[in-house]
Amino acid sequence: MKSSKTAWGLLAPTLIILGLVGLLPFIYVLYVGFHDWMIFAKVSGLVWAGVDNYRELVFDEDFLAALGRGLRFTIWTVSIQMVLGLLLAHLLMKKFKGRGFFRAIHALPLTVAPLVVGATWRLLTIPGLGPLPFYLNKIGIDYNIGWSAQQAFFTTVLMHIWHWTPFVTLTFLAGLSALPKEPFEGAMVDGANQWQIFRYIFLPMLKPVILIALFLRIMDALRIVDEVWMLTGGGPGTATRYVGIHIWRVVFPMTNYGYGSAMSVLLLYFIIVVCWLLLTVITQAKREAGT
Amino acid sequence: MEAKKTNKKREPGFLRMETNLFDRIFIGVVIFVAIHLLWMRFLESSISLTVASIISLVLIFVIAKWG
Amino acid sequence: MKQSARRKGLKQVFLYIVWIALTLITLFPIYWMFLISARSRVELFSNRNLYQTTIFWENFVRPLFQGVYGQYVVNSLIVATGNTLLVVVLAVLAAYALSRYRVKGGQNIFFWTITNRMAPPAAFMLPLFLLYSRVLRIGDLQLYDTHIGLILVYCVFNLPFAIWLLKGIIDGIPTSLDDAARVDGASTVGIIRRIIVPLAAPGIAITALLAWIFAWNEFLFATTLTSVKARTITTGLVEFVTVVGTNWGEMAAMAIISLLPALLFLVLVQRYIIAGLTFGAVRE
Repeated sequence: MKSSKTAWGLLAPTLIILGLVGLLPFIYVLYVGFHDWMIFAKVSGLVWAGVDNYRELVFDEDFLAALGRGLRFTIWTVSIQMVLGLLLAHLLMKKFKGRGFFRAIHALPLTVAPLVVGATWRLLTIPGLGPLPFYLNKIGIDYNIGWSAQQAFFTTVLMHIWHWTPFVTLTFLAGLSALPKEPFEGAMVDGANQWQIFRYIFLPMLKPVILIALFLRIMDALRIVDEVWMLTGGGPGTATRYVGIHIWRVVFPMTNYGYGSAMSVLLLYFIIVVCWLLLTVITQAKREAGT
Repeated sequence: MEAKKTNKKREPGFLRMETNLFDRIFIGVVIFVAIHLLWMRFLESSISLTVASIISLVLIFVIAKWG
Repeated sequence: MKQSARRKGLKQVFLYIVWIALTLITLFPIYWMFLISARSRVELFSNRNLYQTTIFWENFVRPLFQGVYGQYVVNSLIVATGNTLLVVVLAVLAAYALSRYRVKGGQNIFFWTITNRMAPPAAFMLPLFLLYSRVLRIGDLQLYDTHIGLILVYCVFNLPFAIWLLKGIIDGIPTSLDDAARVDGASTVGIIRRIIVPLAAPGIAITALLAWIFAWNEFLFATTLTSVKARTITTGLVEFVTVVGTNWGEMAAMAIISLLPALLFLVLVQRYIIAGLTFGAVRE
């Protein structure tokens, strides 16, 4: 019926641009990843190296450790964000005066640049200037993220929660506002308590939205760079050097572009697999909800 | 309208989900890479990488055909 | 009956306490940054009050008018606005195509565009840097350190996002309207311009807003793909942190400046934010 030529025509500009800045670098990084490219070597240019870069990479403890740290960070932040977001959305759904105002305030951190979030939290936490070490010190806690790896890690987690929980809440609220009201009202009439409403109506009806929020949060947490970089610089030592930071800080000063490319490819591979798995789960859930 | 698609959806194979050819090749490639990486890390000292390639190519074929 | 009314009242109070606490937690870091930006170097370490009566304007004036940060702000404005215009136009067309036509492998295209959004910028930086500075160049013409280079590269994360949001919105517009217009002899572009765009206007507005903010806030690409001419305000913030010591006051001041447009937009469209964020997850 409708010609798909028109559709391709409409898609063409998008595909061209994404091809230029998305696909081309991808192919290029794949290509360079199989080569040695030393910028200061006598032989300038690319030398075929086969899978040597990758062979070296699977034994690169620094890289694997950064990957592990990134995962640990993701698990901590995303699980807390989801729980908090669910609770807040549940609370915010109720009608009360000033709801719009509170929602707007709640949305504020979303619009702040990640780098600026890092900067504000740095201002909160630098010893001698920030209120956090000052007041924690008064109650007897020695707080210094430039020194304690544990504290640095949890400060980054806390910052990320501060920054992104509103996104989860708002996504859930958006999902909720599109849902029919009857099941909730019916349950109220039947005398269901808060927990039952939450468990048997709220959660199942929101399942697709929850999965999508989960998906977006995991992806964003895995690739985090700027916030953490601004807050801790990846330190102390390598305590908060998550995988994105590792690549950014290690690849650029490195003189072997081939090895850096291989590292990028491996991270991409990892992300694509996680992305695909989550999307499959989402489409499956949607299909179940749809039929 | 479904029938017009060339990447025909079909009965799920042993992967137990609806997939088209692209999906299955994609899964195959993902497994191909995973096998190679793990092989290089744990097995290459005793068994050559070529064996991994052969195994994973067979796997891609199997998944694309019956997955 | 009376008791339940009282319980309800208590619940209301509880709700307000939760929300006021949350508001304080949300606002405090930003408020603290404002305090820092209003204090001089000496005052920073001596004044521990949580309020401020004077503003040390020097922190704002020096970097903006004597330093390079004025130029950085202009660069950020050019790049964010250019990128938003490009992204919105392309995304409306693409979302319309994906929503109304059965494109061969449409699902796979959709997945691929989303992968672009999800891809860690860190993984793309090296190839983009190499492409921009070494491979894609004609003589002295190169994309490295230009506004247009950044505008293009921001499409990587903004375009998929915009398509995703807009597809959900266009899916919600009944096809019968298109068909009616087509019978009247309207072209596809005509349909998009006269039916889709007006009906999807709130959605398009929120998409544009979010795209603009994402572009304005971006840091990693900006810092690796520019050096002097096209540097943006976020990259400028990092330049404050130097080995010889950081000028916290000026950094906080510039951070406040970088917050302003986002705040303004948030106030303008806060009522649409929730409607715009459904990601097509819920069918209405």
